[in-house]
Amino acid sequence: MQQFANPTRFLSLANKALPTIWAVTVVLFAIGLYGALIGAPPDYQQGETVRIMFVHVPAAWLAMLVYSVMALASAIAIIFRHPLADVAAKTAAPIGAVFCFLALATGSLWGKPMWGAWWVWDARLTSMFVLFLLYVGYIAIWQAIEEPSRAAMIARIVAIVGFINIPIIKFSVDWWNTLHQPASVLRMDGSTIDWSIRWPLLVLGLAYTILFLALHLTSMRSEITARKLRNLQIARSGEA
Amino acid sequence: MDWNADHAGFVIAAYALSLAFIAGLIIYIFNRDARTRKRLAQFEKPKK
Repeated sequence: MQQFANPTRFLSLANKALPTIWAVTVVLFAIGLYGALIGAPPDYQQGETVRIMFVHVPAAWLAMLVYSVMALASAIAIIFRHPLADVAAKTAAPIGAVFCFLALATGSLWGKPMWGAWWVWDARLTSMFVLFLLYVGYIAIWQAIEEPSRAAMIARIVAIVGFINIPIIKFSVDWWNTLHQPASVLRMDGSTIDWSIRWPLLVLGLAYTILFLALHLTSMRSEITARKLRNLQIARSGEA
Repeated sequence: MDWNADHAGFVIAAYALSLAFIAGLIIYIFNRDARTRKRLAQFEKPKK
């Protein structure tokens, strides 16, 4: 991991990898959307509404994955003082917030025809909403505190403490009685979803994940460039 | 996909919303990246 600690080396690797990552993202989205809208049959109970699952579930997966990445990067920043760890955590947050919002909004659009309600305060929905608030709070810390080292320290603590919410989201449907259905893909005793519906879900899940990788690397590149620019401006103002 | 099925509007809305937000996110990140790199290039350009 130390070989990526140098921002210049990281930028060089990111610049080389990004075109391939974007190409893979486009191909996976094309295959996944074909499977979601054409290949997969309607559900025997939910009818065509089940197709919302193909955009709702990957968004929810990604919202949790991105927060886990932020918490891990924050822990690495504290323990190893890795120069890119804070950059990784800070730039992941807006991406995670968008996917968390999409999980909540598409879930609401799925809930209305299936449950008869846009929103219910059950454990899964509420813990997901808390995750969205954590994202907003984390972004607000970086925006509100001008001193970067102080903002970084507070943001790291929020990211690590907030990680407790991730297992709560995952197991909320097992620990409490919820209107939200229990886990049906990632289960110890195997998936309960038929393969004809599962494969587009897995392909789109992978597509969303690779999309995150592409967006995150691009965003990290911007942040490194912005920090370099700020340092140069400070150095020049010091010379003047 | 049967576009005339019951609740098809909810499916269309979910996909349209996802597309709009993901496209917006991509545009925002690309614009920021291009703007930052341009500013750095201008700053590093030797003054005449």
